[in-house]
Amino acid sequence: MIKRICALLFGLAVIAASAPAAADETVFTACDIAGSIIFSICGELSEGDEYISADNTLYRITSVNGTQAIAEAAGKEPMPDVSWLSTGQARAVFADYAVPAASSGRNEKLIAMYVTHSDESYIPSDGTQSINGQGGIYDVAKEFRDALQAKGIDVILDESTHLPHDAGAYRRSRQTAERLLQHMPDAIIDIHRDGIPDASEYTCTINGENASQVRLLVGRRNQNSSVNREFAKEIKAVADSRYPGLIKDIFIGKGTYNQDLSPNAILLEFGTHTISKERVLNSTDLMADVVSTTLYGAQTGSAAGEAAPEEAPEKESKGSLTGIVLMVAAVMTGVLLFSFVQTGGTGPMKEKLTRNISEMTGGLIGRKNKQDKT
Amino acid sequence: MSIGMILLIVIALLILFGVLQRTLDRMALTDRQAILIAAAVFAGGFVPDIPLGPVTLNIGGGLIPLLVSVYLFFHADTRRERGRCIIAALLTAAGVFLIGRFFPADPVSMPFDPLLLYGIAGGVIAWLFGRSRRSAFIAGILGLVLADTLSAVILWAQGVSQALHIGGAGAADAVVISGVTAVMMCELLGETVERMTRSRAAGHTRPAEGGHSA
Repeated sequence: MIKRICALLFGLAVIAASAPAAADETVFTACDIAGSIIFSICGELSEGDEYISADNTLYRITSVNGTQAIAEAAGKEPMPDVSWLSTGQARAVFADYAVPAASSGRNEKLIAMYVTHSDESYIPSDGTQSINGQGGIYDVAKEFRDALQAKGIDVILDESTHLPHDAGAYRRSRQTAERLLQHMPDAIIDIHRDGIPDASEYTCTINGENASQVRLLVGRRNQNSSVNREFAKEIKAVADSRYPGLIKDIFIGKGTYNQDLSPNAILLEFGTHTISKERVLNSTDLMADVVSTTLYGAQTGSAAGEAAPEEAPEKESKGSLTGIVLMVAAVMTGVLLFSFVQTGGTGPMKEKLTRNISEMTGGLIGRKNKQDKT
Repeated sequence: MSIGMILLIVIALLILFGVLQRTLDRMALTDRQAILIAAAVFAGGFVPDIPLGPVTLNIGGGLIPLLVSVYLFFHADTRRERGRCIIAALLTAAGVFLIGRFFPADPVSMPFDPLLLYGIAGGVIAWLFGRSRRSAFIAGILGLVLADTLSAVILWAQGVSQALHIGGAGAADAVVISGVTAVMMCELLGETVERMTRSRAAGHTRPAEGGHSA
């Protein structure tokens, strides 16, 4: 028996050591019912995924066959009103989600950034799409950080790597994200680049300058999803008003992307690997202006962060409420299913749940079995 | 921060705390010990990590779960059970490593949330080898730590100086979530198989009972 287990372990170790990191570069394409391409993405599409196009049309993935998916239009996605941009008034739009600076013991606006897929690089500039260390994506992150700092915002860019680029990368970057969140930033941004081979998908010209588009990714498998979605929509609305064409689209996919850790978390895809990094770097200034405006208002002076918290948009509360309801419903369903499978009937299940609740509340709620341990 | 957001965060933390407490309570721990350890995991996550050269150890997400695993290991009833714990932990480590290497890198491609997948692997392996919740917890915790260590060693051998953070995300770390998921998975599997076996046995005896009563 022991020999067999040792042989099994040795075999697994050999397979594990020889296995390449699974940097999946499969491109999925979503088409409408007529067969017209709506969008492509490097990564899997699933039924229920949502997509907000450049013109704010909402699509839902209704079926997936291989790398082809059908996306059905569901009308125009209601976008946030950003008319306050034209008034030039200071108004904190999203910073009031975060802990007020005074109560957190700091006086500065603060944004945290990290890079989950550390190897991501740009072929025309870095010579390869993947570097086993800090890839070209760190240059983008540093440029983005500098542009935000130039606007008077404190930025913590955690330059930790999370190699290899495999299914464990988000697990490793989760630790970095959690460390950064202890500084209580107003937003936490995960910097990426896409893996679509067609460079023209991301090339654009903004204010006469060659630039790269930016895709926003929101995970729909966490309790903060509704609030994160509103945050992404606000970023897109501000960008559409200031730099039309800068934001490519918003993809709301099945993943979590560590966005369960914070309501102000967002994943930005700066271009794709076949685009030149210089083009992408040109976009970081524009994105810094967009993110700064979204978080702190139209002005970047000290008054921006002093906006009254009571001006917080109602959508925040709605998003939170949706998150609470979904989370409680998911937990209740899980608990009931788990208890039912364990006990095999409604009677014993009720008895077990009552006993568990009693134990968890020290006997305050529910009956406690006298024979139970104390 | 709005009241809605505070509520959302507080409820999420309470749920995580409750699940962790119920998991610990299912092992060789009293209610009070389970609550204290769950509280220590949460509080320890906010304490600065312990630096150990290229490795950092988070108190809540790494040290306490590891200490609980060691405690449970030495509280195993027999030497054979302890052996099963080690085997389950090693196999889970290999499983976690292989999941990382062979599953798609994008989390949208995963059948479950990757954080749960590691625990599910640990629970299934522990149930197959020992049908023990303690084994499952140890497999879930140690399996993940060993897999991460193996990944780090391979990177170091390639000349990449990447720090190894054990349990760096505190109570929200994959180490804690994996341990909890493994226990729940093991329990779910055990109860389901036991009930199926019981109902099959009852099915075999029913005709005889029916014949007798007739």
